[in-house]
Amino acid sequence: MAGEKIIKPDLQFVKRVMAAGGDTVKKCYQCDTCSVVCNLTPDEKPFPRKEMLQAQWGLTEVLQDPDIWLCHQCSDCTVYCPRGAKPGEVLGVLRQMCIEKYATPPVLAKSVGDPRFLPLLIAFPMLLLFLALKATGHWNIPEGPIVFSHFFPTLLVDFIFVPIFFFAVAVLAKGVMAFWQDINATNPWKVKVEGNLVGNLVTTLKDILMHNRFRECEVTYNRSTNHLFLVFGFVFLLIVTTWGFLNEWVLHHESPYPIYEPIKLLAIAGTASLLYGIYNILKERQANAEKAGYGSYFDWFLIYVIFTVGATGLGAWLFRLVGIRILAYPTYFLHLTAIFMLFFYAPYTKLAHIVYRTVAMLQARMSGRGF
Amino acid sequence: MEKKYGVYLCKGCGIADAVDFESLTKIIKKECKIQHIKEADIMCSPEGRAMILEDMKPEGEGINAIVIAACSPRVKYEELDFPNAIVERCNIRELVAWTQEPKVEATQLLAEDYLRMYCAKAKKDELPEPYQTECDKTILVIGGGTAGLSAALEAANDGYAVVLVEKEAQLGGFAAKMYRQTPTSYPYTTLQEPVVFKKIQEVQNHPKIKVMTSATLEKLDGQPGLLDADIKVGGDVETLRVGTVVMAAGWKPYDATKLTKLGYGLSKDIITSIEMEEMAKAGKIVRPSDGKAPQSVAFIQCAGSRDPDHLPYCSSFCCMASLKQAVYVREQHPNATAMILYKDIRTPGLTELFYKQVQSDAGVMLTKAEIAEVSLGNGGNILINATDTLLGENVIFEADLVVLAVGIVPLTADESVLNLGYKQGPALPDLDLYHGFADSNFICFPYETRRTGIYAAGCVHQPMDMAMAVEDGIGAACKAIQAAEHVAAGMAVHPRAWDETFPDPFMQRCTSCKRCTEECPFGAIEEDEKGTPFYKINRCRRCGTCMGACPERIVSFKDFNVDLIGSMIKSVDVPDLEDEDDPAAPFRIIGLVCENDAYPALDAAGLHKLRLNPYVRFIPLRCLGSFNMVWITDALSKGVDGIILFGCKSGDDYQCHFAKGSELCEYRLSKLSETLDKLGLESDRVLQYPIAHSDFDRLPKILDDFVTRVREIGPNPFKEF
Repeated sequence: MAGEKIIKPDLQFVKRVMAAGGDTVKKCYQCDTCSVVCNLTPDEKPFPRKEMLQAQWGLTEVLQDPDIWLCHQCSDCTVYCPRGAKPGEVLGVLRQMCIEKYATPPVLAKSVGDPRFLPLLIAFPMLLLFLALKATGHWNIPEGPIVFSHFFPTLLVDFIFVPIFFFAVAVLAKGVMAFWQDINATNPWKVKVEGNLVGNLVTTLKDILMHNRFRECEVTYNRSTNHLFLVFGFVFLLIVTTWGFLNEWVLHHESPYPIYEPIKLLAIAGTASLLYGIYNILKERQANAEKAGYGSYFDWFLIYVIFTVGATGLGAWLFRLVGIRILAYPTYFLHLTAIFMLFFYAPYTKLAHIVYRTVAMLQARMSGRGF
Repeated sequence: MEKKYGVYLCKGCGIADAVDFESLTKIIKKECKIQHIKEADIMCSPEGRAMILEDMKPEGEGINAIVIAACSPRVKYEELDFPNAIVERCNIRELVAWTQEPKVEATQLLAEDYLRMYCAKAKKDELPEPYQTECDKTILVIGGGTAGLSAALEAANDGYAVVLVEKEAQLGGFAAKMYRQTPTSYPYTTLQEPVVFKKIQEVQNHPKIKVMTSATLEKLDGQPGLLDADIKVGGDVETLRVGTVVMAAGWKPYDATKLTKLGYGLSKDIITSIEMEEMAKAGKIVRPSDGKAPQSVAFIQCAGSRDPDHLPYCSSFCCMASLKQAVYVREQHPNATAMILYKDIRTPGLTELFYKQVQSDAGVMLTKAEIAEVSLGNGGNILINATDTLLGENVIFEADLVVLAVGIVPLTADESVLNLGYKQGPALPDLDLYHGFADSNFICFPYETRRTGIYAAGCVHQPMDMAMAVEDGIGAACKAIQAAEHVAAGMAVHPRAWDETFPDPFMQRCTSCKRCTEECPFGAIEEDEKGTPFYKINRCRRCGTCMGACPERIVSFKDFNVDLIGSMIKSVDVPDLEDEDDPAAPFRIIGLVCENDAYPALDAAGLHKLRLNPYVRFIPLRCLGSFNMVWITDALSKGVDGIILFGCKSGDDYQCHFAKGSELCEYRLSKLSETLDKLGLESDRVLQYPIAHSDFDRLPKILDDFVTRVREIGPNPFKEF
């Protein structure tokens, strides 16, 4: 007979989904084509059909459903949907709302997803960096050969960026812990506690790094390759940054480095990989917009931030090489601004998917859902 | 009229390749005693027709009884139609040339038998004189709702006087009580003012329409063209003469008090869709219990409909109505949600677009659900326990206002509406077959009822929405006009719309057994004070059921009667059997086939060049209802070995064009087989088999099997006598 679960649609939730880019959610008539064409969904209780229904009905618990993170937005479902309900786009919005739900403070997450706040989000780091320069008396374009640490002292950079990095990590950690608790409390595929958490995490991370899941997408298969370039770009640049940090504070080997040094070569490779990846992601999304969906503002925010990070990094380096001071320093300033935005806003932007998706995949793996 | 016979043999379409015309001519001259025989290469050509017309001239041959041996009477109708003459079409194309092996003895014998049969028929035929009386062509429309108004306007605009009787004080029916109507035109997205108001105005201003409101039909008597309608307005009864009738009496909502399972009566906040509509029309949608605006409104679909405990049918428009009322809720209370809990959403045709439009509203939630229980929660909220939801789980929907989308009950389910003064009763018969709706076989006979000249439209006919009711009203009006015109011209109505013959009983021999009055599917036969039956011819559809029923065999039509069919049977040549075990021994089988479906199936078999058994001779009957048992005696005494009857399917889902014919035939045969068995004649020799038009491909096997069975039984023992 009837169950215990009480359904009371939350109109505001549905409106929110629709406003954030899931405007097609109501078109779904539950034919289940999406779950059939999806290569990523587990066989038991497949997505995205049930998530479409929950979203349509305004059942907020959908945000605690780990399955929304198992989706890689291949958009196979969107392409094959006979009613144009775009499940891929809707699940993207649900992920955005999930990030928002677990982020602290949520207001920052809300503003990241709202184009009206964009000027403010850009102005904040610029102002902060400007004040830092002004306060330390560096607000000018230095004479002589272009050395960025003359304009923005390395100590100051570290003084600002190391804390914001750890701030982001802390906020993400807080969110992901709450998320982990929620998905294991409410979902019916209870994690086997005796399972080896670390071992499973390592396997999951390997899966992620190799994009094994992502490669199962059909319609937008190229996205996985582009994303792979982007990820490896980030990995290289992470190594470069750590290496630079060591050079600076342990080995006392000052930048700028000559072009033949391994660290520089790795930096160039990383930047190239990142730029190649992000450029193709951007192009691919536009080309596939009609059949696979254009994506929401939330998606595009991150794409442009990453693009700006790569482009300004490359620009600053090139201007330095050709010695145009008047361009090199401002570009470097913009580069720092973009990096600030990337890191500081990470728990609120789509970048947070790094942790939420990892956790969801780990949970799916440990509960025997085929991941 | 002195008859002068002429036989015309057509050589076209492969007939001459299959049959030898010389020996055919000999048989006609010698046995049928008709000397005027002509051949044509193509009888339906202008030359062929001109030849016959030439022969018909009084100053020439003066032929006035024509037997055309050519194709089926169902084709080349106009080419081979000769007014003021008896025309018999002997089908030797489909039944011989196209279904038999050419130029063999059995085929030749078959063609010869057909000519004997049709020459015998031509000799018994008489030219019909139509039954014509003074006639009123006024159309009486019962019910002033959407269907009735549409019917009245259609008939009036076609130039017919209309009397529109509405029992309520206002015209418009349910449509006029609505707040808004669902869209009826592209893009099907926005609600509209009920279109019925425009129709009401048109009807009220139409000079040809007499509108009677607060009026009831007390009695309807007489026959089409001469119907007397007693109409009561206030305390006065006025009798009006009308011709034919459109019954658009409409529907009433299913009694919600029977829906306790869905919570009706449990709370003031559980209402019917009718109550919701009234509330919307009055202006404010609120919870009846406290007058507050609802936050969450649940619509329970199929409340009573599609439920074996209540109404087994789909009421057609409730899905649309609830989608519409969900829009009311959302428009008045933008922060409220509407949940529609359905079995299936059914929005016919392009109204699908309206469904899509409503579905796209953030505040409208749709789900499949079977309602298990409705109960009260804390704080007066209503909890709806549901199973089989789209979520795949059993859940409870919480709402503060619940609307039951109640099904519809046709008015004819509980009352006669027509109050007919007919011997067979005041109401339309056997409506329980259609759950009380005044329906019929909807593919072949839309609008038909079993009372001639009375046509049903709107929701009394079938569950339908307003757009369909408009069409239905127009359609029924056209049928009513057609019936009035046919009655005036002395012709039958559908399905024998061309027929000018009518039953003409030889009353001196009537024993007043009343079998005809009881068996007539259309209640066309009344009884006088002494209990003697008499016909109301205009009610008659000419099926001949009375002719089959009459034990005295006194009912006859000019071109169809017991003696005439008997003569056809007796004209068949039954050869002696030299060796009855020879598989090619010339057994003789008579096939009596219904003209409406079985005969067309034979034609179709011919069209597909299927090989039919050569020992069977087919005689078309108007309906198996006209089957008279004496024909079996005629056939058996002639030496025929078996008789097969092809008719339509009988039973609750009958396909009989006259509703009862094949069923009555089965009944008569059941009596007959007792007699045959008593006489030592195997009752297996007579078989009734249901055949639909589409069954033509099964005919060869059915016939072969029957002939094989008759061979097993052995030849007719009367053959030698």
